[in-house]
Amino acid sequence: MKRLAAALFFASVAATLAALPDLPEGKWWKRPRIAAEIKLTADQESRIESIFSHARPTLIDRKATLEKKQGELDDALADANADRRAVAARVEAVENARAELQKARILMVLDMKQVLKPEQWERLVRMHEEFRQQRRERFGRFLERRRPLGQRPR
Amino acid sequence: MKVENGTSADHLTDDELSSLALAPTGAPEPLPAHLSACLRCSRLLAEWKSALSEIGAEDEDVIARRPADEWREAEDATLAAIRRAGAPGRGRARTLRWAIPAAAALFLFALAIGERRAAPPVAFDDPAGLSAQDRADDALLRDVDRLASGDEAGSGWSALAPDPERPEPAPAAEKRS
Repeated sequence: MKRLAAALFFASVAATLAALPDLPEGKWWKRPRIAAEIKLTADQESRIESIFSHARPTLIDRKATLEKKQGELDDALADANADRRAVAARVEAVENARAELQKARILMVLDMKQVLKPEQWERLVRMHEEFRQQRRERFGRFLERRRPLGQRPR
Repeated sequence: MKVENGTSADHLTDDELSSLALAPTGAPEPLPAHLSACLRCSRLLAEWKSALSEIGAEDEDVIARRPADEWREAEDATLAAIRRAGAPGRGRARTLRWAIPAAAALFLFALAIGERRAAPPVAFDDPAGLSAQDRADDALLRDVDRLASGDEAGSGWSALAPDPERPEPAPAAEKRS
């Protein structure tokens, strides 16, 4: 029963993740260019900030828990005499902590999404995708400049 | 077992590290097994990712933010050089032969810059202007994104990946279950 519940939970998280595209990293609503681009109003910014402030303690706690569990797993993996079951339990603990952190993050983003109009949300997501694409292209040009002349495509 | 410092002969080259750093985030991809054992290369990869992000974000912003006065000065200096080149002793026609295309190129360049200034690229990652608290929150959100997506460097998972280029481990270690 527990396994079924866990499977359902992870399936629902996966479905939410699939429907929830990447957003700009960090505190995007505080960046004037992004705010101007999606026409974020002062009221919307204030509400989004409030959502984040409300979520912050949970994010901090769950991030710390995940890092602690990861440290414990690292210790177990570094231990030459580690017990297989103990390692498995720590792996599970890491993934549970990660799922909890992801849940808090997704719920926060969903709340933020409710504050934005659909066109603002779409613009925000599209901007992020464009930015990532631009960044990849710039990195490509940067690498091309670093490559020796003989290896460059003609 | 992790290689702490430069003791491994198979460290990744700059080109290999930069290619790995260039890969889009979120897309699972095979990582060289060497990374799982070498802290030095793991750290270098993290530094490469960070450096490339900064370069990518700054590259065009610097040009876009250059004030109009600087461009005008550059134009004036170039035109002055063109005029100086047309000093007595040289044919006017010969001077104009390259001065006109140069002036046209400058004009087009100035137009292009004007266009860029009208629509500057959006710098998502520019933390300038954020308060100290906002910067701390910004870092927290980035960490949360990275950890929640399992994209953290130096995760214990990689320690389990076999490295085909390394010599066979000692039999005792192999038998451990």
